[in-house]
Amino acid sequence: MKALLIALLFPCLLFAEDAPSFRRDVMPVFFRAGCNAGSCHGSARGKDGFMLSLFGYDAKGDYYRITQEMVGRRVNLAVPEQSLILLKATGKVTHTGGELFAKDTVYYKTMLRWIEAGAPDDGQAVPMPVEITLSPDRMVFDGAKGMQPLRVTARYSDGSKRDVTELALFSTNNPSAAKISKDGVVSAEGRGDTFVFARFSRFTTGAEVIVLPAEKGYLWSNPPEHNPLDGIVYDRLQKLRLLPSEISDDETFLRRATIDLTGTLPSVGEYRAFMADTSADKRTALVDRLLASEGFTDLWTDLWAEMLRLKGGGYAPSATDTKAAEAYYDWIRQQMAMNRPLNEFVADQVTGTGSNLTNGPANLYTMLVHDPRFIPKNFASDFSQLFTGVRIQCAECHNHPFDRWTQDDYYGWVSFFTGIQRKLGVEPREFYIYNNPSAPPAKHVVDERPMPATVLGGEAPVSAGGDPRKALAVWLTSPENGLFTRNLANRIWAHFMGRGLVEPLDDMRVSNPPTNKALLDALAERLATNGFNLRALAREICTSRVYQLSAKPNATNAGDDRQFSRSQLRRMRADVLLDSIVKATDGERGFSGFPKGVSAVRFYPRSSGDTGRPFVGDQFLETFGRAPRATVCACDTKMEPTLSQTLHFLAGDTIPSQVSAGRVVAKALEAQGPPQALIEELYIRALSRKPEPRELAELLDLIGGGTRDRKVYEDIFCGLLGSTEFLFNH
Amino acid sequence: MRPAIPFLLVASGLCAAEPVVSYEEHIRPIFREHCLKCHGEDEQKGDLNLSNQATVLKGGSGGVVVVAGRASTSLLYQAITNADDAERMPPKKAPLPAAQVELIRQWIQGGLREATGSKSLVSARDTSFKPAVMAADGGPVPMPGKLPEFVPPATKRLLPVVAMAASPRAPLVAVAGHEHIRLLDAATAESVGTLAYPEGQPNVIRFSGDGRVLMVAGGKPVQSGSVALIDVMSGRRLATFGDETDAVQAADLSPDQTLVALGGSGKVVKVYGTADGKLRYKLTKHTDWITAVAFSPDGKSLASADRSGAIHLWDPVNGGILLTLAEHKAAVRALGWRSDSRLLASGGEDGQLIWWDARDGWPTITNTSAHPPARPAGYHGKLQNGVLSLAFGPKGELVSGGRDGFVRLWSSEGRALKALPSEGALPLQTSIALDGRSLFMGDASGRVRSWSVAPE
Repeated sequence: MKALLIALLFPCLLFAEDAPSFRRDVMPVFFRAGCNAGSCHGSARGKDGFMLSLFGYDAKGDYYRITQEMVGRRVNLAVPEQSLILLKATGKVTHTGGELFAKDTVYYKTMLRWIEAGAPDDGQAVPMPVEITLSPDRMVFDGAKGMQPLRVTARYSDGSKRDVTELALFSTNNPSAAKISKDGVVSAEGRGDTFVFARFSRFTTGAEVIVLPAEKGYLWSNPPEHNPLDGIVYDRLQKLRLLPSEISDDETFLRRATIDLTGTLPSVGEYRAFMADTSADKRTALVDRLLASEGFTDLWTDLWAEMLRLKGGGYAPSATDTKAAEAYYDWIRQQMAMNRPLNEFVADQVTGTGSNLTNGPANLYTMLVHDPRFIPKNFASDFSQLFTGVRIQCAECHNHPFDRWTQDDYYGWVSFFTGIQRKLGVEPREFYIYNNPSAPPAKHVVDERPMPATVLGGEAPVSAGGDPRKALAVWLTSPENGLFTRNLANRIWAHFMGRGLVEPLDDMRVSNPPTNKALLDALAERLATNGFNLRALAREICTSRVYQLSAKPNATNAGDDRQFSRSQLRRMRADVLLDSIVKATDGERGFSGFPKGVSAVRFYPRSSGDTGRPFVGDQFLETFGRAPRATVCACDTKMEPTLSQTLHFLAGDTIPSQVSAGRVVAKALEAQGPPQALIEELYIRALSRKPEPRELAELLDLIGGGTRDRKVYEDIFCGLLGSTEFLFNH
Repeated sequence: MRPAIPFLLVASGLCAAEPVVSYEEHIRPIFREHCLKCHGEDEQKGDLNLSNQATVLKGGSGGVVVVAGRASTSLLYQAITNADDAERMPPKKAPLPAAQVELIRQWIQGGLREATGSKSLVSARDTSFKPAVMAADGGPVPMPGKLPEFVPPATKRLLPVVAMAASPRAPLVAVAGHEHIRLLDAATAESVGTLAYPEGQPNVIRFSGDGRVLMVAGGKPVQSGSVALIDVMSGRRLATFGDETDAVQAADLSPDQTLVALGGSGKVVKVYGTADGKLRYKLTKHTDWITAVAFSPDGKSLASADRSGAIHLWDPVNGGILLTLAEHKAAVRALGWRSDSRLLASGGEDGQLIWWDARDGWPTITNTSAHPPARPAGYHGKLQNGVLSLAFGPKGELVSGGRDGFVRLWSSEGRALKALPSEGALPLQTSIALDGRSLFMGDASGRVRSWSVAPE
């Protein structure tokens, strides 16, 4: 076989010595110019016939598509400046994306030099960014309008640093407080605090911006601190020139703490005793009494059952039979009753193995997914969202665009669950959950590399062999794991304060920072050092002055709904609302599939069929937004008002039927008390307060003094229970 | 070089010697394990009964479920390999093990044998080739004479050989250059001239059947595109067709030189009459960029292919559709006709090299991985294995170039004859010279290389 080389017609020009690197120099241009954004060539199918990986997660594939897929079209090595990518980017030829940069920019020059050098691929050892930093990383604009340019510096794997401001993308979380230009110049817009972000490579990092009001004369009111949590909140308020509201009165506090800690209203007796108590520490004593109550256990069992999507059904292949749900519920309740440390409570479930009917915690692997098949990817995503607040599923198809998670993280994470199996037990309802240690790990979607089980952000896989979930449980529930402690702390804080430090609760990411980082860190730290003691953290929150503040705004904080300068009005959860109606009226309400007398917070859905679908199981609870437990999302619990809620309170029979069934009015009339006393009792039952003298006078006037007509008083009672004041915790 | 099993290839049209798989021995146990509960004697969901060969062949309410010799078009095979969890059979279960899927595929490809001794249901096909006696037209051998003076523009480096063709009448090879065509003597590989192509980049080069006319199609990307006809001997420009807004990426001249077909990113094939330069008709069935068009040597059909893998055969007289050839799963990169117009070859980015029977569109020979790249150690995932170019030679042999970096020569029966490494840049274009004795390869660095191959 004779080989013959034909002489080249033209001598090649010498390669430029410092040819730009495709990964280090050229790909950031695509990123900055927006070529590989989701709405352009970064979409899953590309755009106008040309695809790039979204934000550049697949450098090798991008290199192939630019230089190899259609040789001679996208880059022109013979006449580099006629390369289609340059003509497109500069708008010299028809381009859906228009002109992205001009010929005199650094972007154009980098790409041209790279093509002139022969559009070379990188060798193995291209330094890649390992971190980006912003300078300054904190800005306070005092009064006047102001501007501040940001600088973005990237640190590379070889230790080198580079100013990448020109290659970064910028965004702001709240443009009404501060804007940021394409070139990274921050401008103050109006009072408030926000974060601005820079993105480069696979990193996002933020800088805090505080814009203070122009008016002078802010004077700190110097309120007392009940405990260190108050100090941390006050620090933040002073930085933002906010003043906390006054402390709430005893009536408001009693009602608020009882609802938050036990999921129902105080009784008339509890009200009178608390109001009569003159001791200085009576609020702390109340919190302690409520923490020790059955109600606290029931409420937190309910909250966990909701998060864990506990639901019973009759569709055997899903392994979520009512009997399994019962086992899971009972186990959770036991843990809450004994104040089991939350890390152990979670760890037991993570390593859950065995029968779904007899071993409660194993049900995590059936209830969280409600699927006849166990799909490791789906489970891994839900698991992460629930226990760390991280929505890792974004990294399934591309590196997380607004966080630090990569596809490597995602597939390594999924591999913790690729061995989970279900085996039919001795009866059709029973399944054994176990881990198959020889199951292969998940494969990376880009290059099909096997990705052994690795914790989020982990450098190396957990040791192979056996059940990787043991290592997962150790890592996840360790006091050092901020992902876990911050997630728990945020959820607990949100329950008592009506708003998390991070919202949505289950979307923790770099680009969604907490409204008060020091506070979230402190809460997480307390949880880690107090032995993951739920009651201890709840006690600290409820005895803080911040928790006890009035909802009534002052001159500075009317607009504040994120810094806890006042109590937030919040509607009661559906189940707490229903229990409160029953409690106020001495009524009784049954639930399908449960014995008489079971409260709404102790009720969980039991259907006769498939549990995968949304299912609340009670009309009232559904109307008022109880989670249908269809997804793991915290947003499944709805607190928004709807027309059907209004109609239900106007014309529905829940309140009237409870009022007549409880016979509160009838009994009082039989006891021959004065009308004033009866009206007062109804106020205390519904609103945990006595009527104002004016309210009492107007009511007495309305009912013509001393009527003994039961219907009149029941109407008043219904009116109180249907009022916004009743509906809300304030 | 080991001969494969030519008898089997010719007789059954299989692409490789696969073991004999039969319903009774291999397939029924699989169906029994996974399917018969719903598609068996007791229950026939969708009127489908898989419990014996006869009822399998009968199909269900949705029609036939297996097509002998074509797993890819068999409903049953599609159902068990569907990537969508919600659509795949068996429902709500993990997919069948890969080994079982492969057995089912082999059973269908092998012709749905009932028992090991049964006859294959794939009809035997004759792919033999008798070289047509090339009618000498009596004129001089069309080699370039005195060409117009032209100095090619200086460029940073050579244009990748994105187009190349060998004359069917003369020892001449034409190669794409930036705004010009390089003409090489096929015997000596020396330059014998240069033709100007001021339109830009030549993306397609074809010789007419008599070797006298050179068709050059191309242009400037997202700016302009057209097809030019050039007289080979004088270098004179004969005509130009099309006024596209993007470079033409696929084109051909009909054997009687009355039609020119062109296509590109517009997803439409346009056919012009050469006599008056008027658009005759448009073919609008493609859904993606047109990557290749080719008239059959007998002038009775026009093949066109696109970037999504579809190939259509048309009646060149009126543009009516004749056949659709659906086997490629990714962009088709090249089409070529054997000189007797019986077989059409196609190669694509899915790695497949297919010889189609042009009479009924049957994939007579399918090589699912004609250019398999070597897997580097520790490398996971898909390797690019596309077929980039192909061309038939005078004896019905085929040369192809692919992303594995090899030029490969195939016999008229699809048997591998030679594998020649490009030893450098990606081989983009391949041709066989007039006498069948030398192979030409043009690569991504602009280099043209040739090998002499001993005649069989």
